[in-house]
Amino acid sequence: MHARLQSLGLDSKLVAIGLGGGLLSGLLGVGGGIVMVPLLVLWAGYTQRNAHAISLGAIIPISIAGIATYGVAGEVRYGTAIALAAGSIVGARIGAGYLARIDERLLKVVFGTFLVGVAILMGVHP
Amino acid sequence: MSGPTLYVVLVAFGVVVGVASGLLGVGGGTLIVPFLTLAVGFSQHSAEATSLLVILPTAIAGSLVLRRRGVGDLGLALRFGTVGAVGSVLGALLALALPANALRLVFAVFVGVVGLRLARDGIRGDAPAEPG
Repeated sequence: MHARLQSLGLDSKLVAIGLGGGLLSGLLGVGGGIVMVPLLVLWAGYTQRNAHAISLGAIIPISIAGIATYGVAGEVRYGTAIALAAGSIVGARIGAGYLARIDERLLKVVFGTFLVGVAILMGVHP
Repeated sequence: MSGPTLYVVLVAFGVVVGVASGLLGVGGGTLIVPFLTLAVGFSQHSAEATSLLVILPTAIAGSLVLRRRGVGDLGLALRFGTVGAVGSVLGALLALALPANALRLVFAVFVGVVGLRLARDGIRGDAPAEPG
């Protein structure tokens, strides 16, 4: 097993980060980049740029495995996903285009506070 | 919401999600899952499952852009992600075994932690995340 993982070009840190990111992704329906990127930078020594690229590429097989697992259980709503994805791909281009022109600090504080509000709302409305 | 109205709202919300992830590197499931549960009325499990199917094409599109720019190593990323896929199946099975209320609380804690971290980074003025 260990030799086989090494032949994939993956050391034990990458294996651990991949498993952890994948676990979070499948459990919560998120990409997993939120844990993989910091760990790739701070623990495995990748640059921010490369960590971001590796995390984003890894999300492809990770999300396919999650979709298949939830799909077998009949939980995936395909029409909804296609509509959201159509908007999201357009939005990502818009967002990236504005990147250099925004006050990122203020945006982070506002968006972070908004997410805390979302968390409370989800917590009190189970 | 139902029928065509719902689809217009979904596409519009997708744009918001895309802008947020383009700007902050945070978005995707963190926004889609609460939206589908709180606003559209999906179960926690269906919201998470559907979120993953939105994330997949977004990750493919983003990875192709980065590869064209020569950033990163897509081959390594896919091998790394194949290991991650094992974790993902385990995570999804764990989620399916949990009752919706418990899963929703776990998700709420996750979103709260992400939000606090983002707000803290903003207040401190930490280095911007890599755009994607």
